[in-house]
Amino acid sequence: MRMGPRFRPIYAVLERELLRMFRQRTRLVAAMVRPLIWLLVIGGGFAAFIGEARGVDYKSFLVPGVLGMTMLFGAMLAALTTVYDKESGVMRMMVIAPMPHAWIVIAKVVSAAAAALLQAILLLVLLVALGYAGRGAEWGLLAAALAATSLACAGVGMLTAAFSRSLDNFAGIMNFVIFPVFFLSGSLYPVRDLPPALGWLATANPYTYGVDLLKHALLPGAGSADFGIGLDLAVLALATAVTVAVASWRFSRESAYEPMIHVLADRAK
Amino acid sequence: MNAPRAAGVDTRAAIRATGLRKRYAGLLAVDGLDIEISSGEFFGLLGPNGSGKTTTLHMLATLIRPSAGSATVAGFDVVREPVSVRAAIGLVFQESALDRTLSVAENLRFAGLLHDLPLRVIGERQRELLELFGLADKRDQPVATLSGGMRRALDIVRGVLHEPRILFLDEPTIGLDLPNRRRIWRFIERLRARTGMTVLLTTHYLEEADGCDRVAFIRRGRLVESGAPRTWVERLGRHMLEVEGPDLDGLAAALEAKLGAGLREGDVAYFRCRDEDVAAIARLQAEMGSRASAWRIRRPNLNDVFLWVADGKDLG
Repeated sequence: MRMGPRFRPIYAVLERELLRMFRQRTRLVAAMVRPLIWLLVIGGGFAAFIGEARGVDYKSFLVPGVLGMTMLFGAMLAALTTVYDKESGVMRMMVIAPMPHAWIVIAKVVSAAAAALLQAILLLVLLVALGYAGRGAEWGLLAAALAATSLACAGVGMLTAAFSRSLDNFAGIMNFVIFPVFFLSGSLYPVRDLPPALGWLATANPYTYGVDLLKHALLPGAGSADFGIGLDLAVLALATAVTVAVASWRFSRESAYEPMIHVLADRAK
Repeated sequence: MNAPRAAGVDTRAAIRATGLRKRYAGLLAVDGLDIEISSGEFFGLLGPNGSGKTTTLHMLATLIRPSAGSATVAGFDVVREPVSVRAAIGLVFQESALDRTLSVAENLRFAGLLHDLPLRVIGERQRELLELFGLADKRDQPVATLSGGMRRALDIVRGVLHEPRILFLDEPTIGLDLPNRRRIWRFIERLRARTGMTVLLTTHYLEEADGCDRVAFIRRGRLVESGAPRTWVERLGRHMLEVEGPDLDGLAAALEAKLGAGLREGDVAYFRCRDEDVAAIARLQAEMGSRASAWRIRRPNLNDVFLWVADGKDLG
C-alpha cells in the first residue's frame, strides 16, 4: 500500500473507525433497522392517512428521508466517538502524532463520512431489493448526493464533538442536535408546505439540502424536491467547509483536549 | 528568541528550557523553569505530587502552550514548530494511551500509521520490540485482556515505535507492583542501551531515579536543585541519624544544637551527620543515647534527599 506523507495518519483513523463499526454489530444492525422502521411503520401509517405528498405516494416520498437519516445518525455517531477517544485516552495517541492537530479533525470527518456512506450503501441495497428504490434513479447524482450529505453530516458531528467534553451529554446531543436536524428538514414533509417559522428553520438547516439532493436523485422529475441541484450541492459544500474549519480551529486551541491533559495533571495532586 | 538549529547545537542540548512558565486560572503550575538536557542523557525530574512535573513534560511535548518562556526540543521550538518536535519525541503518558478494544498488533499499527510509518516498517519494529518487551505471544490479544504491567510495557513500545531521539516517560511505573516496576526498568535500560536515546523521566519513586545521569528537583513549579544523584546524596551528608524516644521534642532540640536542623516524621527524627568521623557520632551517642529508645546510623539515600528538599531545606 503506497500512500504519500500525511495520508497514512488519515488512513489509520479511517481503518480504526471501520474496524470498530464492523465489530459493533448491533450499531450496524440498528443503522439498518431504524430507517426501515420509519419507512415501513411510520411511512405505512401516514401513507394510509395522507396518501401522497407533492404527487408522490408517501412511502416513496420518505425513501430519500430515511436514506439521509442513516447518514445523519451514522456520521454523527462516528464523529462523536471523538468524545469517547478523549475520555478513553486514545486521543493521546493522536495528539502526540507529528501532524497539525487540525489533521485529527480532517481524519475524523473523513472516517465518519466513510462510515456513514457505507451504511447508506448497505441500506440502499436493501431498499432496492425490497423494491422501494432504484427505478428511474439517477445513479451519478445519487453518488454525489450520498458523498456530499455524509461529509456535511460528519462535519456537523465533528463540530458537536469538538465542543463536547464528555459522553454524559450524549442524550442532550441527541435531543438538541440530531433530532432537530432530522425533523427540521424535508425528510418527513415538503419544506414548501411547512408553516413559515418551521419553513425558515428548515431552510436554514444544511441537512435539508442533503435530503433535497437525494430526492432529486431518487425521484427525478417527481417534483418532490424543494430546491435546485446546484443550490443543494453548494450549501452542503459550504456546510462541510464551515463545520470542519470551526471544529479544526476549536481543536487546535488545545482547550479541546486540554481537559484530558488536566485530568492527567490533576490526578497527581 | 531564535531556536538554535545548527547541527552542532542539536547534538549538545536535546532539551533546553528558559524561564518556562504555565499559569492556569489562579494557579502558577510551573514558575520560570530553566533546564538543559544533553543528548543521550538520562534525566530525572523529581518532585512531590502537584509540583509541576507533568505540566512541564506536556509543555515540552507541545501539548500545552507555555504562558511565558521558551523551550527547544531536538532543536525545534515547542511553540512555533510543534509538529517537528512531536516527530522527534516519544511520549509515554501517566495514563494509558491505548485502545482497549483493539489487539496489541492493531494498536501498534494504528500508532505507527499515525507517525506516518510504512506498514512494512511497523511490522518489523513491532516484532523486535514485542520480543524485547516480552509481549511476543500477546500480539493478537485485545489490550483489555492484558495485565497492568503488560499494558504499561505495550504503552512504552507504542511510544518508541517511531524510534524517537528523545523519550518522555511520565511516571512510567505508577500503580505497578514491584516485580512489574523492575521489569519496566529492565526494558527501559535495554532500550537505552540499544538506541542511546535521551530519556526524560518524571517519578516520585526515588530508588528509580538512582539510575539517572542527572536529576532535578521541582517544588511548587520551581527548580530547587539539580545534579547527579550520587553527588546529591554526598552533599546531604555522610550518615543519617534516626532517633526515637519518649521525649522526642527535647532530644531533637538537643541534637539540633549539635547537628543542625533535622526532619520529623511521626515518632522519628532524622538528622544528617556531615562529618565522616564515626568517633564524633559515638561520642554523641554516649552523651544522649540514653534518652533515646532507638538510635540508628545509616548511609543516606535519594529518599532522604527528596524528603530534605521537599521540606524546603537547603542541601548546603
